[in-house]
Amino acid sequence: MSGAPERDLARQVEALLFLSPDPLSVVGLCELTGAAPGPVQRALALLAGRHGPDGGLEVAEVAGGHVLRTRADLAPVCDRLRARPRDDRLSPAALETLAVVAYLEPVSRRDIGRLRGVQVDQTVTTLLDRGLVEEAGRPDGGGAMRYRTTRAFQERFGLRDRGDLPPLAGFALTGPEAEALRRRLADAALLADEGGEP
Amino acid sequence: MPAPDALTQSVELDLFHGPFDLLLTLLLRDEVDLLELPLVDLVEQAVGPGVLDRWDAEAASQLVLLLAALADLKSRRMLGEAVDEEPDPDALEQRERLAARLIAYAPYARAAEWLAAREAASAGPRLRRVPLETPAPVAEPGRPADLAAAMARLLAAPPAPSLVHMGRPRRPLPEVLQRLRDSLVRLRTLSFDRMVEGADRLEEALTLLAALELARRGDAVLDQPEPFGDITIRAAARG
Repeated sequence: MSGAPERDLARQVEALLFLSPDPLSVVGLCELTGAAPGPVQRALALLAGRHGPDGGLEVAEVAGGHVLRTRADLAPVCDRLRARPRDDRLSPAALETLAVVAYLEPVSRRDIGRLRGVQVDQTVTTLLDRGLVEEAGRPDGGGAMRYRTTRAFQERFGLRDRGDLPPLAGFALTGPEAEALRRRLADAALLADEGGEP
Repeated sequence: MPAPDALTQSVELDLFHGPFDLLLTLLLRDEVDLLELPLVDLVEQAVGPGVLDRWDAEAASQLVLLLAALADLKSRRMLGEAVDEEPDPDALEQRERLAARLIAYAPYARAAEWLAAREAASAGPRLRRVPLETPAPVAEPGRPADLAAAMARLLAAPPAPSLVHMGRPRRPLPEVLQRLRDSLVRLRTLSFDRMVEGADRLEEALTLLAALELARRGDAVLDQPEPFGDITIRAAARG
């Protein structure tokens, strides 16, 4: 059983999570409550246990902090109270650009474009407007503006922090897959030749 | 295929002497150089004069088709175009570069798919989005007496409106007009100042209006020698 001071700290943390518009980091919670990280962690664990599946709320770790949020299965009823923001689904191009930025940040538009093989100015601008990427300054000695993902990006994709992505190597094509890709290209070239014959 | 005898007919050229089908095979293997083959000679020998005496129409037309294909192949070689089985090294290199690029990019495309799945999985929970700048909706504790005083102010009767401007004696214009006309008939000439001596502003204004009306009708002539001075009203000479 936890003692009275810990229960008190848990109540404070719960109240802060309820009021805060942004995820609160452990450091932030320590500053606000004047408690040490250890007790704050324990208070968070206590809260997480208290907000179980029986309740409407859950404590989650997202975008570098902790939040008190409604449970996923309650989305339909929650949206009756407050409409979701207008349909802002991301296009495949926007998602791929986001992926490139997330793995290579900070990265310039030119580098993104070189990797994607297309102009990405418009896509990057859209992502900037939506607050999913932000400017990350220029390299020392000048150069093109570089971009990185934002906390809104982490919140949207349920990431705990900046590095919370699966290793890129895990997404690489396997040998046979790469071979299949080469074969498809060769077939396409042959077909193009055939098409050139009268 | 052409009839066997058509295909195996013997042809006699400078660089080849033998059956037609063997020539075709050697040409396709590049053992005979197509560029050096005098195609017109071959055409003349294969389907030259009297061709229909030697072959039926179908065999002849298939020979023509084969010769046309040879002509096409030769022209393309002469233009230096890439031909099957001789892949352009540039094209190969380009294809390999494209493949390398696609392979390098593939992880990001897959990462994008992962992100999309992740987004869908994170779409359920809702967060409060109340900016901290928004003041907390906590009311100041109010005293009932203040409320009562405010209500009393609302219930107090408003001051009675002033009616002093109502009920002034009215003097209709036609009456003033008639009086002025009568005076004019008697006296011929009138002084405006004398007429309105002791009259209030309303009567003064009515008298002026009457004088103007008489002047408009041509019954009187008005004369005001100096601004704001007296106005002389004279009966108009009737013509």
